[in-house]
Amino acid sequence: MDNSSIAVSPKKTFGKALLYTLPMFLVTFMFITGGKPDFSDPARTVAILVTFFGMNLLYFLMHYSGKTDRYRAIIFVIFALTLSFTLIRNMILIRNSMSFSQADILECKIPFCHLVIPMMILPAALTKSIIFPGTILGGFADIASMVVLWLAATVVLGRGFCSWGCFYGGWDDGFSRLRKKPLVKKISDSWKWMPFAVLLLVALTAALTMIPTYCNWICPFKAVTEFEKVTNVESAVKAGVFISLFGGLVVALPVVTRKRTQCSFLCPMGAISTLSNRITPFTMKIDTNACTQCFKCVDSCPMFALTREGIKEGTVSMFCSKCGKCMDSCSRNAIHFGIRGVPAGTRKNFSRNLFLFVSFLFMAVFSSQPIVFTLNSLYNLIF
Amino acid sequence: MNKIKTTAGITWAFLGLILMIILFPGLSGFSKSFGTLPFMKINPRYSGGEVAFTQSAGACTLAVHKPVFNGLVRDRNTGFVQVDWRGKIPDQIRDTIDYDNDNVPDFVIAVDTKKPASDCCPLSGRVTGLGISSRTSFGWAARINLRKTP
Amino acid sequence: MTDSFILGLSSGSACLVTCGMVMFPYIMAGRGGVMKIVLDLSVFLATRLVIYFVLATLAWYFGQAFLTSGIVRTFVTGSLYVMFAIILIWYSIGRKKNMKCPAAIVTKVEDKRLVPVLLGVVNSIGFCPALLLILTKGAAQGSLAQSWLAFLAFFTGSSLWFLPLPFAGKLKKKQVIETIGIFATGLAGAIFIIKGLILITGGILNG
Ligand code: SF4
Ligand code: SF4
Repeated sequence: MDNSSIAVSPKKTFGKALLYTLPMFLVTFMFITGGKPDFSDPARTVAILVTFFGMNLLYFLMHYSGKTDRYRAIIFVIFALTLSFTLIRNMILIRNSMSFSQADILECKIPFCHLVIPMMILPAALTKSIIFPGTILGGFADIASMVVLWLAATVVLGRGFCSWGCFYGGWDDGFSRLRKKPLVKKISDSWKWMPFAVLLLVALTAALTMIPTYCNWICPFKAVTEFEKVTNVESAVKAGVFISLFGGLVVALPVVTRKRTQCSFLCPMGAISTLSNRITPFTMKIDTNACTQCFKCVDSCPMFALTREGIKEGTVSMFCSKCGKCMDSCSRNAIHFGIRGVPAGTRKNFSRNLFLFVSFLFMAVFSSQPIVFTLNSLYNLIF
Repeated sequence: MNKIKTTAGITWAFLGLILMIILFPGLSGFSKSFGTLPFMKINPRYSGGEVAFTQSAGACTLAVHKPVFNGLVRDRNTGFVQVDWRGKIPDQIRDTIDYDNDNVPDFVIAVDTKKPASDCCPLSGRVTGLGISSRTSFGWAARINLRKTP
Repeated sequence: MTDSFILGLSSGSACLVTCGMVMFPYIMAGRGGVMKIVLDLSVFLATRLVIYFVLATLAWYFGQAFLTSGIVRTFVTGSLYVMFAIILIWYSIGRKKNMKCPAAIVTKVEDKRLVPVLLGVVNSIGFCPALLLILTKGAAQGSLAQSWLAFLAFFTGSSLWFLPLPFAGKLKKKQVIETIGIFATGLAGAIFIIKGLILITGGILNG
């Protein structure tokens, strides 16, 4: 374990990086293949192997190059794209359309996603039931498994879930990288409190109406997953809201600002994850001895988690999603992954190695299913 | 003090590591246990509520659910009753339903499962019209909107 | 009911942003301890409730007199929702920059016992787009009881903000709560814009 405070590089030699990748290689092999690889279907075999080797190559590169966000973002964006592909393809195969039917509602077959969680808490406490037409256990995206996965990720990663686990975050993360320089630089950072207002409103309206109002009226990701069939004015307005929010907050604003605007300005789940950052073992730390106050990290942070004042004081706000972009932009390794209770500037590499293992493992296993499914479908389509 | 904090932090981080390693292999077990918690039930507004009584007509069974008025803290004035036809459903369905079992019919529901089209004729002041009605994997289901006080 | 509650809740937060800091030094002037604070707060809230019942009744009679046919009711209500909601959003953005309280003048009254009553009156009828929205809603209701219910929900939502105010001085994150309140007001405005648009489009489609 290193204890020096100035410019400890996270880069490793080829051999050392390979050594650090080995445990991930073994664990992901077990989890992605289920421990009993079945190579009877060539398309699936190719899909699994590409996913497995691709992921481990990126993990190796994280250690070898010392860069985190650059390689994390590749999987994160692919996760978002392939999840939408998987959902849409399933819906088209089963129902021939992207909209869910009345039968799905009557039979409680709507896939559950973590964005419903903020709305189900109050009704669950008061009515001892879940206000969502999904399946409790078994079936695709059941409520119990999704909540368990989210809970575990949130306890361990905090808002890191928003950069390593959320299958929507990759959309605005991806669009925020399309331009090299932002067109709009000045954005008041008080907007980052907006998700708390959204959380307050959706939690209350959902409890009072017993309808998951965010899913019903706001969620921009309905535009790339599934939504209610347009049959009347109300459903048409809803579709309009979904598409405009997707176009505005997930595509246009991230492109012009290079910030993750949907996650920073709208998502109520992001607000909960932000609060959970206060208890997680992993945090970002600033080694004020190594910091030259160039503020490159402040400009690069896509979540409005860093301010110049904060950097001077050596603090990172609770809005941090542990994406590592600031680290990648810091030539002095002054801003670094840390462990709660461990002083800033110490055990930098140890903390990074541990955090990377935990967060990457979650992302790799969680994202592997849709990635394998998409590759499998593409293989079948091409050959 | 610093040493204690450091040790506690690192222990917490290692616990996180262990949790992540056991999470995926143990997911189905964790989910099963979580799914048995008292609040892990679908609210009747979505599940349709418990079945109150059933009637058989050949290969098709009619199931009338208990009316659902559930609100956050108390019942609401508006709700619905769900009616299912399970099994081999005919092309044309026409049933007169007395959902509250008071020997007075409450509504007549007609479904053309081929077209498909549904219609509901209220016979009681408490029935306000047809809600959703659709073919399902088990046959057909319809929700008829109600109000508590006529 | 829900939208009225949400409107009240969010506009209450905006009200707090501008007026809370002016009003509460007077309500909690420290004359008579906690009981006095509770009494003043109760008088303040009771005054608001009475005024809202009067307004609900007036709005409903006004609606009965002018919004006679269904189509007029739909169009006028829809358009007013959109217009007032836009003003509400504008107002909430403006409030952040210009924190002047219209109730400040009341606090200059000689007889301090009247302050909670007068504050209640000014607070409930003082110009606020949220009030205009709830008046529109009250006017569009089918019965007087429904109009009362809508106002009651609005009152309940807006009053929630005043309850923890005796402890406001101790809140470390006052600024943050104010910011969230301002955003919530803007979002409530957005809800009413959507409601208005649905009413108008539905009216056009149904002829
Ligand atoms: S803010 Fe919301 S959408 Fe964005 S990554 Fe977090 S949970 Fe997902
Ligand atoms: S502070 Fe760094 S790690 Fe946290 S969100 Fe910003 S760029 Fe990502």
